[in-house]
Amino acid sequence: MFDVILANMPFLLEGLRMTLLLAVIGILGGTILGLVLAILRYRRVPVLGALAALYIETVRGIPLLVMLLICFFALPALFSYRTTAFAAASLGFSLFIASYLAEEFRSGLRAVRPGLTQAGLATGLRPGQVFRLIVLPQAIRRAIPPLFSQYVRLLKFTSVASVIGVRELTGSALLVNARDFQPVIILGCVALTYLVVCSLLSFVGRLLYARLAIRS
Amino acid sequence: MSYQFDWTPIWQNRQLIADGLLTTILLSLAGLVLALCLGLIVGTLGASRSRAGRLVAGVFVECMRNVPLLIHMYFWYMALAFLRLPPFLCAVLGLTFYSSAYVAEVVRAGIGGISRGQTQAAEASGLRPWQVRLLVIYPQALRNIAPSLASLSSQLIKDSSLASVIAVAELTYQAGSIEGQTFRTFEVYITIALLYLALVTLVTRGLMSIPGLREPPAVAKVSDV
Amino acid sequence: MNSLPLISLDHVSKSYGANPVLRDCSLKVAPGEIVVVCGPSGSGKSTLIKTINGLEPYQSGTIMFEGKVVGARSTDLPAVRARIGMVFQSFELYPHMTALKNVMLAQTHVLKRSSEEARARSLELLAKVGLSERAHAYPANLSGGQQQRVAIARALALDPIAMLFDEPTSALDPEMINEVLDVMVSLAREGMTMVVVTHEMGFARRVASRVVFMDEGRIVEDRPSAQFFEAPDTERARAFLSKIIAH
Repeated sequence: MFDVILANMPFLLEGLRMTLLLAVIGILGGTILGLVLAILRYRRVPVLGALAALYIETVRGIPLLVMLLICFFALPALFSYRTTAFAAASLGFSLFIASYLAEEFRSGLRAVRPGLTQAGLATGLRPGQVFRLIVLPQAIRRAIPPLFSQYVRLLKFTSVASVIGVRELTGSALLVNARDFQPVIILGCVALTYLVVCSLLSFVGRLLYARLAIRS
Repeated sequence: MSYQFDWTPIWQNRQLIADGLLTTILLSLAGLVLALCLGLIVGTLGASRSRAGRLVAGVFVECMRNVPLLIHMYFWYMALAFLRLPPFLCAVLGLTFYSSAYVAEVVRAGIGGISRGQTQAAEASGLRPWQVRLLVIYPQALRNIAPSLASLSSQLIKDSSLASVIAVAELTYQAGSIEGQTFRTFEVYITIALLYLALVTLVTRGLMSIPGLREPPAVAKVSDV
Repeated sequence: MNSLPLISLDHVSKSYGANPVLRDCSLKVAPGEIVVVCGPSGSGKSTLIKTINGLEPYQSGTIMFEGKVVGARSTDLPAVRARIGMVFQSFELYPHMTALKNVMLAQTHVLKRSSEEARARSLELLAKVGLSERAHAYPANLSGGQQQRVAIARALALDPIAMLFDEPTSALDPEMINEVLDVMVSLAREGMTMVVVTHEMGFARRVASRVVFMDEGRIVEDRPSAQFFEAPDTERARAFLSKIIAH
């Protein structure tokens, strides 16, 4: 019954590797960009802060698939450059998830008590130091659970890359199915794989939070 | 930038775009209503006193939301192809089961946020369990979770774009077909991106302006999912 | 007073929009003096003490510390703050750092002490406030009294020449108030210049050189503590004293 899976194991595993790679790229790129956007918006940096807000609100209103299509078709057409499906997907995921991560970071920042900033300033730390040493570390810790639920979302979203032709787990499974046509088994196994990988990622998030949580 | 903008093909295809937008709205509406119903049931089960109920709800939620929506859609469309469901229905079912898990979590947290004292007070006044839920718990919980439900609704509208992969002629699908005919890549995708943005903004604002949902939540907002 | 004032406020006023919070406040604190500021809630005590190290800006008048104008563009405010320790009502320990790290932070980042030096000094100060064994505890695992003593150690870590206390015992359970006051009394005995906003009149009686009474943003009385407790000048101060001492 599972012959189709066993026979295509290397191919599907390669797809899984691609899925994980896309997720890691999206998580890293999105986290860095999201943190920068959140800081610009939170600290109300002139012009850049408003641009960050505009970016965040706009991207949060657009479907991921449309974002990928823009990165794969529209942007290369506009700026006349060549891209690959993988590069476009990596760019699209990072740009997309950054807007959600930015808001999670920002609510973490806003949850830090203002008294702590005063305490830091009172010891002679400069405002930049107070932000870097006191406010930011706490904001990040507070943000860990929502950040990880966004990471899990991103991990599932990588399946959408199959639409622009990336051979990640879903894309590979569809190819196998197109040849061997056993959709119940193939889709079932793929669903189970996502379930396991997503649960693992959530678990890592909970573990990290348990270690770093601020109990107060 | 050597790209020559030409927006006329967009205008010429306005009928296709309007059809797509309408399909997107219908698809989202159907998915939303069903997801809310299913999510309410599963969420209530998850907040119940029965251990088995909580277990069933928990397993349902984890299985539904940890599988990509795209797989949900393919499942109804391909794995259950013998049912010969039309693509639109497959997309509705996919959206429903996927989103109901999120709704269930929000509902569960919303009910959990109402103090036990409220239930006890209502039971003490002789109300039956279903009356306690309907008259005391749900109205309070709804007010608290309204912002989360609004954000789930906008999520669902955006998610509906994935129906294009199983050939539902909604907005994203129409964009693809117009792009294929006219090659006005940038104009097409920017247009539909803005349409989604407008739709999502309108729906979120609209939902939050329903009287009774506007009051600030009595407990901390249920965290967005 | 024969020595030059260390802290001086000269006709300081401040308002939030149309709400005046400080009205024409003048105050001088000489080195080694211990000034207790009291008054009903909302009288501007906290705001007054926070203007001294520039945490609260003020609109008119002048505040000087060691001859430098606090809030002037030419004054390096962080450098001034590093010379003044401050203790807050709700402790404000950094929750993501251990007690030791809380005390070390400004030493390494403001005074640029090496981390060994900062650690040694921190342990010394934690011993002084009686918390050697709790050096590696996080604030969430300390009692209120312990947290406030860590906060005092944190303020002392910069070797300040003056200390500001903003209602340091108001957020504490009654049984923890004395452990904090004891540390403050011993600090006073060592000759530290202190400005203390508090309702602990027993503390004021024991160690204060002067008591300042505030009401509605004004400094209503400023007298040597013995005189203040014996016979307050104003009716408002008398009413205030009888209220808090009756309990």
